[in-house]
Amino acid sequence: MGATRRWLVGAWLCASAGTAQAGPTAEVIHWWTSGGESAAARTVAQAYRAAGGTWVDTAIAGGEQARAVTINRIIGGNPPAAAQFNTSKQFLDIIEEDLLTPVDALARTGEWDRTLPAPIVDVIKKRGHWYAVPMNIHMQTWLWYSKAAFAKAGIARAPATMDELFAALDRLKAAGLIPLAHGGQAWQDMILFSLVLSNQGGRDLYLRVLRDRDQAAIRSDAFRRVLVTFKRLQAYVDPASPGRNWNDATALVITGRAGLQIMGDWAKGEFIAAGQAPEREFGCQPGVVPDSPYLIQGDVFVFPKTDDAGQQAAQRLLAQVVDRRDVQLAFNRVKGSIPVRVDAAADGFDACARRGMAILRDPRRPVGVAEVYLTPDQNGALQDVVTALWNTDMPVERAQNSIAAALRY
Amino acid sequence: MNPHTIVSTLPAPAAPAAHQAPGAAGRARRRFTPARIGLYAFLLGAALFFLLPLYVMVVTSFKGMDEIRQGGIFALPHAPTLDAWRLAWSGACTGAACAGVRTGFWHSVAIVVPSTILPILLGAVNGYALSFWRPRGAHVLFGILMAGAFVPVQVMIYPLVRVLALAGVFGSLPAIVFVHLVFGLPVMTLLFRNYYCNVPHELFQAARIDGGGFWRIFLQVMLPMSLPVLAVAAIMQVTGVWNDYLLGLVFAGRDHMPMTVQLNNVINTTTGTRQYNVNMAATLLTALVPLALYFCSGRWFVRGIAAGAVKG
Amino acid sequence: MTTRTLARATPYAALLPMALVAVVGYVGAGLWTFYLSLTASRTFPSGAFIGLAQYGRLFDNERWMLSLHNLAAYGVAFVLASLVIGCLLAAAIDRNVTGEGVLRTVFLYPYALSFVATGLVWQWLLSPGDGIDGAIRALGVPWFRLDWIAGQDGAIYAVVVATVWQASGFVMALVLAGLRGVDPDIWKAARLDGIPVWRVYLQIVLPMLWPTLATVLLLLATAVAKLYDAVVALTQGGPGLASEVPAKFIMDHLFLRSNVGLASAGAIVLLVPVLALLAPYAYARSRREAA
Repeated sequence: MGATRRWLVGAWLCASAGTAQAGPTAEVIHWWTSGGESAAARTVAQAYRAAGGTWVDTAIAGGEQARAVTINRIIGGNPPAAAQFNTSKQFLDIIEEDLLTPVDALARTGEWDRTLPAPIVDVIKKRGHWYAVPMNIHMQTWLWYSKAAFAKAGIARAPATMDELFAALDRLKAAGLIPLAHGGQAWQDMILFSLVLSNQGGRDLYLRVLRDRDQAAIRSDAFRRVLVTFKRLQAYVDPASPGRNWNDATALVITGRAGLQIMGDWAKGEFIAAGQAPEREFGCQPGVVPDSPYLIQGDVFVFPKTDDAGQQAAQRLLAQVVDRRDVQLAFNRVKGSIPVRVDAAADGFDACARRGMAILRDPRRPVGVAEVYLTPDQNGALQDVVTALWNTDMPVERAQNSIAAALRY
Repeated sequence: MNPHTIVSTLPAPAAPAAHQAPGAAGRARRRFTPARIGLYAFLLGAALFFLLPLYVMVVTSFKGMDEIRQGGIFALPHAPTLDAWRLAWSGACTGAACAGVRTGFWHSVAIVVPSTILPILLGAVNGYALSFWRPRGAHVLFGILMAGAFVPVQVMIYPLVRVLALAGVFGSLPAIVFVHLVFGLPVMTLLFRNYYCNVPHELFQAARIDGGGFWRIFLQVMLPMSLPVLAVAAIMQVTGVWNDYLLGLVFAGRDHMPMTVQLNNVINTTTGTRQYNVNMAATLLTALVPLALYFCSGRWFVRGIAAGAVKG
Repeated sequence: MTTRTLARATPYAALLPMALVAVVGYVGAGLWTFYLSLTASRTFPSGAFIGLAQYGRLFDNERWMLSLHNLAAYGVAFVLASLVIGCLLAAAIDRNVTGEGVLRTVFLYPYALSFVATGLVWQWLLSPGDGIDGAIRALGVPWFRLDWIAGQDGAIYAVVVATVWQASGFVMALVLAGLRGVDPDIWKAARLDGIPVWRVYLQIVLPMLWPTLATVLLLLATAVAKLYDAVVALTQGGPGLASEVPAKFIMDHLFLRSNVGLASAGAIVLLVPVLALLAPYAYARSRREAA
């Protein structure tokens, strides 16, 4: 901690030497609005204040709304100092319009080329420049199960193959429980689809379909079987699932009325809020198959270009603060995600998070979620087909053709 | 100009002084007829249907999260608690700050007051000019406004952002009031125009004969007899502006963020846990202002066309 | 300038703000949107002209076609239901019932609530098994089913239920304001003539209320075209794409999918039937006024 304290004091001196009274004011647009998210945002705000800055919080619930406001503010000539985005192509256009300030200096000192997982590097590094400071990693397809429900259905251990998964679902159904707790919203359908594609299709097929948009791979028999398995899962959700929020589905698992849920690691927060602990009342597993691709996504901060010297000073200070190891550790512990640096220390994180961090260190496992590889438009078009396949009796071949068309351009 | 003299040149008008509701004369006799009972049964049944969501909201706001997780939305709370309400007003997290929806309340008031008065006044003037004076080309403009009323608000955001940025007022209170004016004007104009079309033209002619000009007739004759439509217009505009989310989000700037933005922050967390009881309490708190207006608007729904126009 | 010229100019001057808003605001924005629909704009408006390609893509898009279909079905059901229920409520309240103030607030309060949270409540209420569906079955009506919201065909009608709940109170308020302008002597005359009450309403009062009803219809129609909040709060356009509507399609493509060009094309297409309906109406009115 000595090094951090010295860092802190140094930063404070730098900041106070520059300006007379209040430190550089940074307005930050983000969508961490409640519960654990909000507490996590507070850790960053407090660190920034401790470093001598003034944090102005502009929180807007819903990523889409927050991003819309950011873009409109940039157009309107009144950009924030920093704005939150996901690790995705959402801010690709903004980079191309040359509207973001690069953070190359930080990337050099932090050795981001070496310490960040490859999918993240691909998203924030364009044409040799780094345009965003990553904050955290979320994994999209964890398998959460209720130990009580498993015991009632006579399932000894969590499934390790797709066949075992269906066997477990059958047993849960026979025991009168809801086998798969699912919220019938398009993005949740995508999560199930990503699970099947990564666990049954494998890493290779996953990347060829989503990253390379290889038409041959999409039209292949292997991908068709992925779609069939995906549709097969639909028989195991309850009739009230359409439109259900993800945390209502988690509530089913928490109360033991459902067996398992496929959801990102943010679901952990609901279990903990209900007083449950990992390996005690609920179990967590990253996917089904032991070596399955670890589907990561995360949050980053970008810094819109500005001519205002005070704003620029605020951006520099904020970027430094946000990139600090201790700040990122504190942020992630509270938010339920894992640090983005593969060499981060694991103390203070619970059992599920530690498993995730260990997997992150293996360069073969982390792979981006669909958003990381596809533009928002392509991702949306893919999601439309996936959710239509889930909800209607569309023939699988037609879905396959639609996906090929959606990902062609 | 004397309202009494207008009346003397009119044909026999409606007589609010005789203020009788349909069927009131025979009320004592017809108190318990099947028709009357059927009427009350219908109203009661409809009221129950309308109140159902409110019941669920109130009941949920007094429950603890454990109870909510169990399901059973119609059940009364086992152990009612005010915690959710306290949190909603002053403790719920809406970002890095956890101060509930209270902070947005006065911002919303500051936005609603000018954004209601201006469009209503302008709409009334427009409706009056369109119905009685009919300047050339005005109906074309009116048609454009009507077409514009069908356009989803989101489509107009980019142009408005650009225009306001050029004017240098983007992200301030005048900006959001102007935006509400732009979107409120079509409907306000429509309301008043259609209402004034229903007012006997003779009233207007008589006023002109008496020597009234554009503004005098408007302020002294038309406006006082517009109370019912003023009530409706106020209800529409206050509700629309108070509940507006997207426009306030984009145009109001960070110092004037309305209550709905805070409300949405409380309710629509992306990956955080959702506290439904706090959400319900926050929604009810946010709805108090329009609700108060509705309850007090009764006086304005008076029978009759004008308060004083028929005294003479 | 003489007093006469000043007097004649006053109406024009008074209408100036409206003219500015109409021309700069609506016509300007409309033209700009049309221009954008001819470009390949993504996140930001760009000048890359691509002709009518966006429209081609639009009509090739299953989601857009479905949203148009949904809007038509929704529009008819919503306008009819709101109108009928609103008029019935207004007529009932107008008959000098006790507690009119309370009743009026009860029917009007849904209009005060935004769909952000009421959407969630309606989701719970319309949820098969847990909501109204389960409650009525528990009360002893085992054949009752209300699972529209979970079905492909019924989802948009679930939205109708929630939005009619919100809108009919407002229709009631407008019709009530209109009813209050009806000459009470009519009731006396009708009673003297022995005409039953319902006939008075249907054949005498209703035609008198035509301007009010025209306003109501127009307002309801604008609400239909702009339907967005309720769908997002209730079904997010689902299950699947079953309750997708054009305003949501446009909004999603404007910001979420960063495809301003396609969204603009959608907005223009949405405007076309409106113009097609309003143009002959306006023409007919101007002919009538000129005559």
